[in-house]
Amino acid sequence: MAALLMMETGDNMAGMVSRTATSMRDDAALVARAAAGDTRAFEALYRAHVDRVYGLCLRMTGNVGEAEDCAQEAFIQAWKKLGKFRGDSAFGTWMHRIAVNAVLGRIRKSKREQDRIQVAAEMGSSPASIGDSGNLRDLSDAIDRLPEGARHVFVLNAVYGYTHEESSDMLGVAVGTTKAQLHRARRLLAQQLEEQGFEA
Amino acid sequence: MNERRDDKLTAAARQLATEIKPQRDLWPDIERAIAAPEPRRSRWTPMFAQAAAVVLLVGASSGLTYLAVKDDRPVVITQPTPEYTFERASFGSSYTLGRDYLATRADVVARFEQQVERLSPAERQDVERSLEVIRGAIDDINAALQQDPDNTLLQDLLMKTYHEELNVMRKVGGVTQSVMSRRDI
Repeated sequence: MAALLMMETGDNMAGMVSRTATSMRDDAALVARAAAGDTRAFEALYRAHVDRVYGLCLRMTGNVGEAEDCAQEAFIQAWKKLGKFRGDSAFGTWMHRIAVNAVLGRIRKSKREQDRIQVAAEMGSSPASIGDSGNLRDLSDAIDRLPEGARHVFVLNAVYGYTHEESSDMLGVAVGTTKAQLHRARRLLAQQLEEQGFEA
Repeated sequence: MNERRDDKLTAAARQLATEIKPQRDLWPDIERAIAAPEPRRSRWTPMFAQAAAVVLLVGASSGLTYLAVKDDRPVVITQPTPEYTFERASFGSSYTLGRDYLATRADVVARFEQQVERLSPAERQDVERSLEVIRGAIDDINAALQQDPDNTLLQDLLMKTYHEELNVMRKVGGVTQSVMSRRDI
């Protein structure tokens, strides 16, 4: 379902899906070896998935340092939980779930969200816009300024193509909440971007 | 209008990069973390902490209750002795104490510091010993929580222990205030 949805989401997604399709079997073999304690196999999994895991962490936190910590924590947790990975979903999707948990756990723990928003506002261009250009950089910055809940839902739904059911499951909230947050995110983004004369 | 706006936003969002290369290689830190042996989770430590804390709390609470109901004690103003040191309250490594609790605690600590000087040396020693026991229990439970942060029994016990610490300090305030008012009358 997630794979089908992602196929409709533009070139970068399509590339990712085709790569995922060809590497899923490789992932399965690597997971089996890593679960048996082979750290080289786990490193190969890390190399294959780190950009996508880090990308999600960066989009959700909007902070390079926190995103690095969350991505590291996600891989450490994944190593510990490899024995529980049954292969019902792709390894990349499983990693995304763990990464979302790492981000939410870190936010709960640090309670530095307010500081982060202030710092991001002071810094102007947010580090989350790395990898984007032109108008997309404006959009990326605007996403980073969204309130936490709205930002998380928008990143998962609009940027990564997860369904409301999948996002609500990952974030541990009701489907109605993700729908309301997505609506709120779009409204706030439109307001911000209109002020900047953004053209999609 | 809104639909068109949403479509444009969605289309733009889907062009955003989903894969971003970290500015540094995270693997060395991950490798170090997964290579380090997992700290052995002893079931004994949390259980010991729970049992020890319960026993100590009952003792400390009984002692203070005895102090609180004792009658006709003379007011003894002792010479100021070294200040009590109140370490910042903590709650395991994964949680923090609420702002209301910390405010109440700061208030009670301030009153306690004033009132405790009115106790006799022996009574003061009792109070000191009771608080020492409770704070020892808090340290034990905090240490156990670091090993087992999601243990709800430990979390609950720690909350109760902090509460007990507050009660002890409040009781001291009550004892000295009642002694003073009897004399005043």
